[in-house]
Amino acid sequence: MNGSAIVAALGFGIVTASILSLGAVGFTLQYGMSNVFNLAFAGVMAGAEYVALAINRSGVNIWICMALAALFGGFASLVLNKFVYMPFIRRGVKAFGMVIITLSVWTVIQYVILAIVGSTASSFRVSGSHLYVVGAIRLNGTQLIVIAIAVVLLLLLEAFLRMTLWGKAVRGAAANAPLARTSGINVARVMDVTWFISGVFAGVAGVALAMNVVSFTYTTAGGFLVVLVAAAILGGVGRPSGAMFGALIVGLATEVSAAIFNPAYKDVTAFVLLAIVLVAKPAGLFPEAVQRKEVVL
Amino acid sequence: MSNPIIYYVTLLAVYGAVYAMACAGLSLEFGVTGVINFGYIIFQAAGAYTAAVLTLGPSSSSDFQHYIGGARWPFPLPLIAAAVVGAALSAGVAVLGIRRLRSDYLAIVLLVASLIATTVATNATRLVGGAAGLALVPHPLVSLFNNNAQGVGYNVAFAVGAAVLAALCLLIVHRITESPYGRRLRALRENELAAEAQGISTFRMHLVVVMVGGAMAGLSGGILVQYISAWAPSGWFYPETFVFFTALIVGGMANNWGALLGAILVPLGIGEGVRYLPTIGSATLTTALQWIVIGLLPLVIFWFRPQGIIPERRRRFAGAPRAGTPVVDRSLVNGAELTASSRGRS
Repeated sequence: MNGSAIVAALGFGIVTASILSLGAVGFTLQYGMSNVFNLAFAGVMAGAEYVALAINRSGVNIWICMALAALFGGFASLVLNKFVYMPFIRRGVKAFGMVIITLSVWTVIQYVILAIVGSTASSFRVSGSHLYVVGAIRLNGTQLIVIAIAVVLLLLLEAFLRMTLWGKAVRGAAANAPLARTSGINVARVMDVTWFISGVFAGVAGVALAMNVVSFTYTTAGGFLVVLVAAAILGGVGRPSGAMFGALIVGLATEVSAAIFNPAYKDVTAFVLLAIVLVAKPAGLFPEAVQRKEVVL
Repeated sequence: MSNPIIYYVTLLAVYGAVYAMACAGLSLEFGVTGVINFGYIIFQAAGAYTAAVLTLGPSSSSDFQHYIGGARWPFPLPLIAAAVVGAALSAGVAVLGIRRLRSDYLAIVLLVASLIATTVATNATRLVGGAAGLALVPHPLVSLFNNNAQGVGYNVAFAVGAAVLAALCLLIVHRITESPYGRRLRALRENELAAEAQGISTFRMHLVVVMVGGAMAGLSGGILVQYISAWAPSGWFYPETFVFFTALIVGGMANNWGALLGAILVPLGIGEGVRYLPTIGSATLTTALQWIVIGLLPLVIFWFRPQGIIPERRRRFAGAPRAGTPVVDRSLVNGAELTASSRGRS
């Protein structure tokens, strides 16, 4: 195995890590806020992919499609929480029951998409872009833009959470919802905002993923979800900066292992990594952020 | 009855028995004890591969399929081995996972393990036949029926045998659930910390439960593969576990009738029921509709009947006072009332 192939894989690893971190951060935001382990996140991603595809087919530039798909993802995620999950939580469904419910919603979304678009693969119309070569790393313009979008969005999110009053409210409500409520924070609205933001991340991640794998089907996002959850857990679920870190590790590890071993076992690397980390450090790499709580009403 | 109908009825009976067995094991793990085993299908698959490999005979290089550890064991041994492998794998998972992980992380790790297992089984073509899987698995005891595996006699006998084994599994789960051991398992499900404080070894009980559940999953896989005589990764992709969970949620958890009803309604009922639907559009659309129904079922059940169609029996001690009867010493209650009312006046 020569070194240049591994360096080249590092380049792809950074692209994968960017997409993963968008998804993992969105996923972890929802979990941190509501304690709902939302497996239907992949459903929102897949939905956004096909919304972008429909707009893209009518000749609109792919980046505009991505922005519209992100908006769709945000609203879909908001609606999902407000009109599907919350009523079930109000009816007294506990954390485990919610996992089954999100899994059910995911199944329904995935197969509704199958029923509408069929099982054939589709791809976006992306204008040809220049190939940039730095040493052994070869990335095209599209991939560089994806990395840039991920970096900008993650920085914006950090700034939002750290520097604005709304961000403070989000962190407060995630840490202790009853206390936040007694402090005058409108937890229901903060929750809407959080689910909207996480849905935007899901939408961008979904479209970026579909662009990166070039041709995608209704199962593409679902297959990615497990790697995404692995990254989120690695960083300690409920912690955005941890999720970014987890995504970086998982993204690099999968691509580099694909260059060294059989590419078919690419995802297995991520899972074995997760299994080893969890057996060694059962609460993830940053355990202090993780605490067990019930679903938040 | 004409032959095709008998054949179809026996097929339903075998499938029903296999699903009931798997649901019984999962009911013990999840319904009674609260272990969220999202990788349950792995143990069924492991049992199926074990039974297949141990009846196919040694794999030769000229064969169209390749696998390791081929042997030609006589009838009951491959099934016993399937159950043992299911239990042993579960024990491994328990030792690695249950002792250390939070139950929700364990669920995800098992889901992930399920994906790893299918990926490895698909890509390692020499391990258990790769994506094509294993085929031409011999039927057990077919020599007693003039080697006619398609005959009515053999199919009826197979169905009866499978039903007896399923009944045995349900009986075992029933006996465990109704025993004092079952009470400890329920205590574990309700509040692990409190159970541990009462001196219950949570790890040892989890270990026993997942081993029993894993053995039942393995046995069900072994019976299934000896009936359909083929097994491939596409048959045990991770959503299949979800089908069993749906069955339990629909049927009702922690009781045998619920597990049996769920097994009959969900995998058998929906899987077979869609065959009679008029074909709308394409085969893809039919598959999609089938999965949409499986996905909607838990939502409907959670909304209208969270305890399942047949709920778990409420348990109380023999001779316990009826609800509403004060159990505390009357004088204490009066004293409490007095302080409460005096505080209210002040």
